[in-house]
Amino acid sequence: MIPLWLIPLFPLVGTIVLAIIALSSSDSKQGPAESITGAVAVLFPILSFLSVVTLSVGMPVEGIRGTIGTWIDTAAIQVNIGFLFDGLSRVMLLFITGIGSLIAIYSVGYMHKDRSFARFFAYINLFLFSMTILVLGDSLLLTFLGWEGVGLCSYLLIGFWHTDLKNTKAGNKAFIVNRVGDVGFLLGMLCLVSIGGSALLSYDALNAWLLNALSLGSISNAMPLLSLAGLLFFFGCTGKSAQIPLLTWLPDAMAGPTPVSALIHAATMVTSGVYLLARLSNLFVLIPAVLNIVLFVGLLTAFWAAIAGLFQNDIKKVLAYSTISQLGYMFMAAGVAAFDVSIFHVFTHAFFKAALFLGAGAVIHSLTGEQDMRRMGGLLKKMPLTSLVMIFGFLAIIGFPGFAGFWSKDLILERLYVSGPMGPYVYAIALLTAVITAVYMGRLIIMTFFGKYRGSKENEAHIHEAPASMLIPMLLLSVGSAFAGFLWAGLIPGAEFFREMLAPVVGAAQSYAMLGHTAAHLSPWIFAALGTLAAIIGMLIAWYLFMRPVPEAKGGSEPQGFGASWTFAFDKLHEYVGIIPTKVVAWLLDVVVNTIIMKAQWLTGGIIEILGDGIRAFQVRKVRLQAALSFIGMALITILVLIYGGLL
Amino acid sequence: MELQASYIQIVALALFTIGLAVTLTRRNVFFVLMGIELALNAVNLSLIGFAKTLPAAASVAGQILPLFTIAVAAAEACVGLAMIILIFKSQESVDIDNYSNMKG
Repeated sequence: MIPLWLIPLFPLVGTIVLAIIALSSSDSKQGPAESITGAVAVLFPILSFLSVVTLSVGMPVEGIRGTIGTWIDTAAIQVNIGFLFDGLSRVMLLFITGIGSLIAIYSVGYMHKDRSFARFFAYINLFLFSMTILVLGDSLLLTFLGWEGVGLCSYLLIGFWHTDLKNTKAGNKAFIVNRVGDVGFLLGMLCLVSIGGSALLSYDALNAWLLNALSLGSISNAMPLLSLAGLLFFFGCTGKSAQIPLLTWLPDAMAGPTPVSALIHAATMVTSGVYLLARLSNLFVLIPAVLNIVLFVGLLTAFWAAIAGLFQNDIKKVLAYSTISQLGYMFMAAGVAAFDVSIFHVFTHAFFKAALFLGAGAVIHSLTGEQDMRRMGGLLKKMPLTSLVMIFGFLAIIGFPGFAGFWSKDLILERLYVSGPMGPYVYAIALLTAVITAVYMGRLIIMTFFGKYRGSKENEAHIHEAPASMLIPMLLLSVGSAFAGFLWAGLIPGAEFFREMLAPVVGAAQSYAMLGHTAAHLSPWIFAALGTLAAIIGMLIAWYLFMRPVPEAKGGSEPQGFGASWTFAFDKLHEYVGIIPTKVVAWLLDVVVNTIIMKAQWLTGGIIEILGDGIRAFQVRKVRLQAALSFIGMALITILVLIYGGLL
Repeated sequence: MELQASYIQIVALALFTIGLAVTLTRRNVFFVLMGIELALNAVNLSLIGFAKTLPAAASVAGQILPLFTIAVAAAEACVGLAMIILIFKSQESVDIDNYSNMKG
């Protein structure tokens, strides 16, 4: 059995090697040779993937645990660097390293002839290192290390082309908004520590403690703090996973290179919030009020982002809003304590969203950077394979029967319906969101691949299919988005492989949450039929609305009018809630407080100066005489103290 | 024969007196500084001498303390020398009796 620490070690070594390559070639104009750099960049993620596969094959049901040392050892906090490889982290790691490797291969083609080739891959490897630490860590603190690491890599990669001010601003925004969420994560950990000491930061110990407290009945004492901890952790998740209210950074994050959007801002990093909820499932099922908040926030986010997706003209922005919307679905599932289903949607979403992003990347690449869909169109004939990949991803995301998204979304909708008295209403909104999803995704496909080409002449001349290094990962991912769903096909009896894999981790929590529920017995075929109907209606609406000449593009790709006010509603909210108060406080500190302090300083200085002028008069002319006098004075004091024994 | 604690005090007193005398009698500012340093080290020596009379555990603490004093004294000597160099630049004299124009 190979040790667990190999999984994060490989990307870390890759980061170091690539960083050395990037730094040593920083003086040359050409940059390092792309063949060697690319080979290194792809090799280490693949090695990591292979070790995950090797470990997955022989994994016992209860998982593998390994501690490599002590991290923090103080009186207040003891934390080990330990790894936990169980059903949940296995699934996450398989697709993180797998899709990470595919996207690394794709990037070799995409980043061709970029001067910062080596730097890019150093960041990608660092990201994979952080993400594997996040998923593999056996304590919240180690997960937090990875959580911060992926945030840093996200920032570095969004602002990768840092000569453009817009990109660096987007990077800053992502980083700052994420920090707001991270405060929630930190305070949540603090809550747990104040309940039961630093031991509770370890997942195993937390689960054991919760079980023990539940059986002793002493849990109600800790309930307020536990609820607060759950709420704060969820707040952390809204930052990382772009949910209301902290979602504004994700659309802006599209400023990064497209493979980054595919890997970080669609497939892996943004799903770490869902992972955290599933990892803490035993905590969350004890606090149903917080789960209701999760459900409500997920529902609102999914619906809002789906509408916002309708207004976007930038192809990557559409995909960004659809990511937010799909993340909303995952949180909805977690909100009704269907953690296995939410992780299943994470899994299928990783495939089809990565395929969609990589397809969009290929389109952008061949149009030399054009991202406005109003200047695309008719690419079906010119880029047939890319279109195929995109259409597979499209069918998966709208939930067309048989494709990956169909199975996972169907399960989410079903669990929503049977979740309780509010279930049918939530289900109705979620189904409506599914229709809207089909509409805006249909709009994307129609505007990009159908109709007539509307872009510039010079771009049209060299529209071409992507090179093989980009095409092969895309095609593999499109196969995944077609078939990944069969790992848990609700309609086929026995096809529950995925549920069985996750059952040891989240099964107990879910059966606890379902305690006392009488699940409404409806045939799963009804849900499947309604889901299919939603997809088809959405497609027809898209066909009817958008299969017509597109008005000529004027100005930027940002939405106008109502679309703008809907899209930027939360930016406005942040403006009023966060930015303006901060600016007011900053102004107060700068002008008012600073002036007062400066005046106080001048006053003190002035007084000292006046006093000094007076005291100067006492100086004796001779320095040595003065020293002798002070010595005599000292001696006198000593003698007096000796005589009177300090009673003077 | 064991080293008596009082002998150390006598040496320390002698050193301190020498240091003080140098400080008060010499006119060259560098000698004055040397004298001060000598007196300071005499005090350190005295501290160690007294520490020797204590039981072992407390004795160690007393013997370590001068190490810190020496470290601080080194920093202080740096500052002192730097100041003297600056004064020398402005006064062009190493005679300490000339440094008396702070008074008005």
